[in-house]
Amino acid sequence: MSRAVSRRRFTLAAAALAAPVVLPRASLGDDVKVDLVHTFSGADHPVQRVIRAFNDKASGVTVVSRQDGTTYEAITQKAMSSIAAGRGPSLMTTGWKLGDFARRTLGAQDFRQIFGAERTEALLAKFRPQVRPLAAIGGVPIGLPWSMSTPVVYINQTLWTAAGLDPAAEPMTMEELYPMVRQLQERTGKQGLCYEVNEWLSQSFIQNAGGDVIDADGKPVMDSPAAVKGIEAFVQPRRDNLWRVMTIPEMLAAFQAGAIGAMATSSARQSGVRQAASFDLRLIQMPGLAGHPRRMNSGGNFLAVYSKVKEQQEGAYKFLEFLTSREAFEIWLATGYLNVTTNDIPIRPGNEAAQAQMEGGLTSETVWPGARGLEALTVHIDWITKIVNGAVPVADGLRGSREAVEKLVAA
Amino acid sequence: MTLAWRRLGQSPWLFAGPAVAAAIAFVWLPMVSTLALSFFDWSLLRHEATWRGLDHYRGTLANPDFHLALANTGLYLAALLPLQVGVPLVLAFALARVRAKTAGRLYRTALFAPSVLSFPVAAVVWLWLFNPTVGFLNTLTGSLGVPPQRWLSDPDLAIWSVIAVTFWKSFGLNLLIFLAALANVPADVTEAARIDGAGPFRQAVDIELPLISPALFFAVVTTIIIVLDEIVGAVDVLTEGGPYRTSSNLLYFLYERGFRHFQFGEAAAVAMLIAVLVAGVTWAQFRFGERHVHYD
Repeated sequence: MSRAVSRRRFTLAAAALAAPVVLPRASLGDDVKVDLVHTFSGADHPVQRVIRAFNDKASGVTVVSRQDGTTYEAITQKAMSSIAAGRGPSLMTTGWKLGDFARRTLGAQDFRQIFGAERTEALLAKFRPQVRPLAAIGGVPIGLPWSMSTPVVYINQTLWTAAGLDPAAEPMTMEELYPMVRQLQERTGKQGLCYEVNEWLSQSFIQNAGGDVIDADGKPVMDSPAAVKGIEAFVQPRRDNLWRVMTIPEMLAAFQAGAIGAMATSSARQSGVRQAASFDLRLIQMPGLAGHPRRMNSGGNFLAVYSKVKEQQEGAYKFLEFLTSREAFEIWLATGYLNVTTNDIPIRPGNEAAQAQMEGGLTSETVWPGARGLEALTVHIDWITKIVNGAVPVADGLRGSREAVEKLVAA
Repeated sequence: MTLAWRRLGQSPWLFAGPAVAAAIAFVWLPMVSTLALSFFDWSLLRHEATWRGLDHYRGTLANPDFHLALANTGLYLAALLPLQVGVPLVLAFALARVRAKTAGRLYRTALFAPSVLSFPVAAVVWLWLFNPTVGFLNTLTGSLGVPPQRWLSDPDLAIWSVIAVTFWKSFGLNLLIFLAALANVPADVTEAARIDGAGPFRQAVDIELPLISPALFFAVVTTIIIVLDEIVGAVDVLTEGGPYRTSSNLLYFLYERGFRHFQFGEAAAVAMLIAVLVAGVTWAQFRFGERHVHYD
């Protein structure tokens, strides 16, 4: 049995089929489309709200959100493929540690070349003076430092007070903190302390003892006597059985379940931890080391422009300009990242410690130099993990790291 | 229909063509490209290639992380092959003898269920079970007086934790293969054996096992592939190859070279070394394993 299809029906059916493809494009109209690749999940994440707020202004630029992964490495892999295919992202959140790779290999654009020196200066002038130098990788401004974090100590205040500790105590050195967590562990039976095991938190110990991971000339110096002293302080609680070493997801799960008294990790995790924890949570600044000036590091990511199309670069500039505004930053601070701009925004509850730490001055996160910088980073993490597990003495482990990293940086 | 079309229609190339084209495009060309790439330093973005000769092969073969990944791959294989084949085989014999239909279906569903879960979903559960502070496993072992273990962050334990999860996740497939093979064993053969006085154990070992040997051989071959290949998912989700590469394997080593460090030339050399290794193992399987298989 055959049934004739009228022209009218055919046209309607064809229109219905084409609508999902055509309509989104039509809704963009003549706007310049700028895609923002990032790692943030959730339909109501601040990144989505910032994008909506910008798009609602109908500035002639439409920003499209693209979550291509949950780690900097994952989105970098995908960005590489799309850049190679000629369809690279206009903007991408780029981890500080990947800064050199982004500039040398991925082709993150020098703001001064695409926006001009004056407009670049105007954009970066909206950031606090102590943050501005961190926006440059190798002296080249390639990113907007909108997502900055720093290591802080999360305290389970319920356990802290149950252990008889001063509820308002703010130990400013590890030498003050360790006896307190020992008391917490002994009185409550819960694990006293946990650190994340990676290159980032250990960097703060090295710096606070007066050392560096990689010096200003790009030379690995992570086995200097000062660095050894810093890492000795880092592993001390493990030796004293105050810290049971675990992976970062395990640490977060255990802390959120109320099984750990204090945890040192990024201030950017605050909103997630606060949501999951059913106890009183207090954040304090990361303690330094007695007898040494505090020298805390920053972390997080910057927004880099990868597009080589002038129109998109200009669109990206409009969006970056909006991101530095008070309106955008008020939304953005819900993530737990720091207010690094000159906008006078009240500090969100819980962010006080991290914000105060930033006011005291932060160094940049280690940027791993050279064509094999990312491999050098992995190698260094492996040596730090060996040291933390007691598989190798601190001095030997750091020397092993320096020797391996030196070869990779020189390659 | 024209004569030319009829002639073309009779040509075997018309039928084999799509498959051959797909094999050339998706298997052979990538393999040849990978081989070529292994002799160069290549930038995906700049499309620049620098001739390195055999440097990547020398570098890889001298790399202690490669040695560790190779040794771990051997350990994964040595532990998982007997587990993934032996346990499902025994279970299949047991399940085949369950007379109650509902109970049989229930057991099969329960035992096969982990195989249909994706690794990321299963990993969420396992990460909780393995948690050294609040995990169920340490609660359980703690009640037996065993001190808490760091299942995923202890360098001596991490690889065994990955083995346990991989076994739990993958053994259901072999169970299904063995159950299907046992269902095809002719009833008159086992009946004759029973009349001749063979007990269940003799029936299983002397009658059914030889008859399902093609399935057993297939299971061994596919299990080796799973251990070499699919375990990467478990490694990535549970330990990321750590602590300090102690739970990595060859394919994860390759993944890190290529997609974490973006050293594509080196990754290509590792891929070629793995290809040679897999070809050798497969040849050995057919050379020494197939002679014990009865296809009649």
